[in-house]
Amino acid sequence: MAAPVGAEAPAAGPGALWAEVRALLPGTEGEFTLALSGEVDPCVRPLLRRARGLLYGAEGPAGGEAAALRRLGHVLRDYSWEKLNAGPWQEVSKAWRQVYTYGCLFGALAEISAGCPPVSAVRLCDMGLLMGASVLDNVLGRLVRVLQQHLPRERRGAAGLAAEVRPEGPGPPPRRPLLPSSPPGPGRGSAGPLPAAAGPEPLLQKARPEPRPAPAVRPEEELPRLRCPSLESFRDKHLIPQKPVVLEGIMDHWPCMRKWSVDYICQVAGCRTVPVELGSRYTDEEWSQKLMTVDDFIGQYIVNEKSMGYLAQHQLFDQIPELKEDISIPDYCCLGEGEEEHITINAWFGPEGTISPLHQDPQQNFLAQVFGRKYIRLYSPQDSENLYPHESQILHNTSQVDVENPDLVKFPNFRKAAFQSCVLMPGQVLFIPVKYWHYVRSLDVSFSVSFWWS
Amino acid sequence: MAAAGSSWLVFGFSTEEAAGEPGPGLGPRRLEPGPGGIRRVWPAWSYVVVETGAGLELRSAGRRQRLRGWREALPSETHVVLRGAAAARAWRRGAGLRSAAWSRFLPRGPAPRPLPLLPGGFALPRPPFYRALPAGLRARSLALGTEHVLLLGTGGDVHAWGGGRHGQLGHGTLESEAQPRLVEALAGVPMAAVAAGGWHSASVSEAGDLYMWGWNESGQLALPCKALAEERAQGEEAGAGAAALSPCPEPPEAEATTFISIQALPALLDLPQEPEVSGVSCGSRHTAAVTRGGELYTWGWGKYGQLGHGDDASSDCPRRVEHLVAQGLWAEAVVCGPWTTYVCVREPPDPPSSTADCSEDPAAGTCLGPTLPSAPQDQTCSDSVPPEPNSEPQVGLQLHEG
Repeated sequence: MAAPVGAEAPAAGPGALWAEVRALLPGTEGEFTLALSGEVDPCVRPLLRRARGLLYGAEGPAGGEAAALRRLGHVLRDYSWEKLNAGPWQEVSKAWRQVYTYGCLFGALAEISAGCPPVSAVRLCDMGLLMGASVLDNVLGRLVRVLQQHLPRERRGAAGLAAEVRPEGPGPPPRRPLLPSSPPGPGRGSAGPLPAAAGPEPLLQKARPEPRPAPAVRPEEELPRLRCPSLESFRDKHLIPQKPVVLEGIMDHWPCMRKWSVDYICQVAGCRTVPVELGSRYTDEEWSQKLMTVDDFIGQYIVNEKSMGYLAQHQLFDQIPELKEDISIPDYCCLGEGEEEHITINAWFGPEGTISPLHQDPQQNFLAQVFGRKYIRLYSPQDSENLYPHESQILHNTSQVDVENPDLVKFPNFRKAAFQSCVLMPGQVLFIPVKYWHYVRSLDVSFSVSFWWS
Repeated sequence: MAAAGSSWLVFGFSTEEAAGEPGPGLGPRRLEPGPGGIRRVWPAWSYVVVETGAGLELRSAGRRQRLRGWREALPSETHVVLRGAAAARAWRRGAGLRSAAWSRFLPRGPAPRPLPLLPGGFALPRPPFYRALPAGLRARSLALGTEHVLLLGTGGDVHAWGGGRHGQLGHGTLESEAQPRLVEALAGVPMAAVAAGGWHSASVSEAGDLYMWGWNESGQLALPCKALAEERAQGEEAGAGAAALSPCPEPPEAEATTFISIQALPALLDLPQEPEVSGVSCGSRHTAAVTRGGELYTWGWGKYGQLGHGDDASSDCPRRVEHLVAQGLWAEAVVCGPWTTYVCVREPPDPPSSTADCSEDPAAGTCLGPTLPSAPQDQTCSDSVPPEPNSEPQVGLQLHEG
């Protein structure tokens, strides 16, 4: 369906958008319950009630009331943001995340009712989806879907919006250290070089290293490959003995295999805000996280590659359900004890050269490769002593050794550690048993989907 | 302690807005003095406890409450702790103040150290309300951050413990500490005061030098902040006025800038013209300092006007509050609430003919005392905090009914 040139949206103008948005909310103020999953400070509820009152007052908040609603959105977000940062992310109460979500909802509604371009409301919805917790039957997810339909076709040039940074992807499992500051919010690595601005070539930008050649995989190191093994066969030969294997054929019918490309991701998710890791690897001092739109991520780090950026370990499919329809959960996950809802699905989208240092995770992992190739090396947990894990609690699951350039003077026993490796190709799924050490380097622009299950 | 002829100004988020009402705007407001002037203030987010000549008073939007017989306060949004001559007690906010959530009787003795310090330990404005301190630790003052605690010892030493994920302990790591631990980096320098913000820390030496450490996400350590630099760059691209973005007077060269998000070891801070600092206080994400020359400097998060420059810009370099200079006011002391800055100023010899510059505290003119009409959902006047018991403390203090 082609939109008329220069048209704002399929429907006609901001009035139609407000009507659609209003229809997502409960019909009456009484039905808008402001329910929270726990206790919050007494100062909060009057603010929530006041914001709700502004919504249901006159004919949509107009004029001064939109301003008051916007202000309340700010106050609620800023107040709850401090609670979200007041301890480890895992310990943040759901109630405070819900308050943050209400703050995003009221802010987005204020933007829309004031006639601002939908992108600003989309960004607020994304902040709530990333850091908040669902209220009103995932109202933010429903709202962002409506807003996306009202965005102009021409969405590029969102660079101006990208810089509002309050980075830090939300938490667990803490494979990548949630530090310097765990949950989303301002904060990054301890120090960082001046970032590249989008636009003209910055002279002093830290240059990306020359791309390295695809490493040779010797036959004796190579991981075994199996085509569509039966559940029993996988369970008996790999899951129970905890032996890694590359599975082929199981992704063949996933729609992502024929649909996904950088362009497609851009079309479906371009205006959406996601957490991006900046810096060569998360063990580096200059490593940091930043929130930006997918458009900006692709423009700055996939297409241009001025410096390293990686959309890593992000539950993109919870945020953008349309993409979730293009993937499936591998059948073998049913061999686990956990419920399907508890399977964590992460997206890993980045340019050539992204590196995940050698580390281990507390769950079983299926790493599905959609496009691009990845060089992966695996070490058994039995070799852990030879891998020199970091002492600190935050990085205890990460090895100090640079796998492809090990300092054998500092880490002499590393040469004793046995490993297997592969170049994971599109359509292949790597089974990484729980706590199996793995090192990953992308050889092309790459998109992987990981499934953490128990 | 404010002397006669002093008054208090406040910048930042108002108690009215905290109640969801329209706020008075970005300008400074003068605190209505009450009988005998205001000596001390203990700000929370939605209210403030002040000490007037007639005792403590709790002020929130449209409401004042006398706290008869109590001497010091430690407020939070969930509870308020009050300390008197014989006891300390905590009440829950918003749930009716009929019975205390916690009590502790205090032995009579020499002049007590300030809250949160208590004999043998310190108070918290939330459960468990009291924590013991190791016996050997001799404390002069103590400051509470969101996740951490700073202690200034009688010897000028600083100890820090609690959550350390943002470097706020100053031990050079991001690890947390369960027990008080000496901040080694300051060990050679006798300190006169410490202050704790949300996730940052400050310490003033006897010589008037200011040290800061912790999270710099809004420039609250006066170190270069990436997010603010990006905002300034965006503003310049968009052609916005530079004033709204509070550039530093001497911006560092772009190429050489290293941005600091977390400073895990104390760093010495240079104010412009390097005055001696006499006092410092930290809000959630901003910092304010008073110099021996009577100036007030602020930096960090400014979104709610808490930096006192009449705008909502944040700043990663210290800026003098010009309003005081313009009015000829001498800053004597500063106390920060989470999103506010309270400054005690000495009046000029010839006070201005009108008080039109500072908006009056809206509660001025209404009668004081516990019979004020209550805000909706709030308690009636019967929730006034019971006066502190005058009699000798008994084992197992009875909880008073309103």
